[in-house]
Amino acid sequence: MDIKVLGTGCTNCKNTIALIDQVAKAKGVTITLEKVEELRDIMGYGVMSTPGVVINGKVVHAGGVPTREKIDQWLTA
Amino acid sequence: MLEEAKQVCPTTTRRLVGEGALLVDVRETAEVARTAFDVPAIVNIPLSELEQRWNELPRDREIVLVCETGERSLKATYYLQFHGFQRVSNMQDGLLKWMRKGFPVIGERYDAPTASASACCGGAAPQKTSTGCC
Repeated sequence: MDIKVLGTGCTNCKNTIALIDQVAKAKGVTITLEKVEELRDIMGYGVMSTPGVVINGKVVHAGGVPTREKIDQWLTA
Repeated sequence: MLEEAKQVCPTTTRRLVGEGALLVDVRETAEVARTAFDVPAIVNIPLSELEQRWNELPRDREIVLVCETGERSLKATYYLQFHGFQRVSNMQDGLLKWMRKGFPVIGERYDAPTASASACCGGAAPQKTSTGCC
């Protein structure tokens, strides 16, 4: 599962990455987790509110840190 | 991959407006009430409303996005490019540079950025009491 976190590096973005990493490890799910920090690249997904989360090329979340429950749902493939 | 956004200076912006371009000011209403760009063709669509209102904008006319520092307007420029607009440019350094050059404004002239205006983490300029990022 390819996961990208879109954001320019602020606290919410860092927390989102940490939380996704944590949930993936707890579930034993293998993911590639990547930060997308350049504005031009972030806007390529049309995401205005960051943090944004993109899974296998699809935007699944935008704005604020996602809840643990939501992340769990994404990782339950 | 989006094209690199076109960046224009205030002087070029004035020329473009003279040639029929539309200025799109993405600052919040309160900011515009304090100080507005004094140009004949301008609309105010706050960044926080752009996702709902972008299709009010013309595709067949040059558009120059503006804000206080050029940061929020750059985001808005890329957003419009994402929606297929090709005739969009960002005015670098924003209202602050516009005022430094003595270009016309309606309202208060000032020279320091307002602390609450930021493009970070979401569309609206965050309130001063926000515990959000940055």
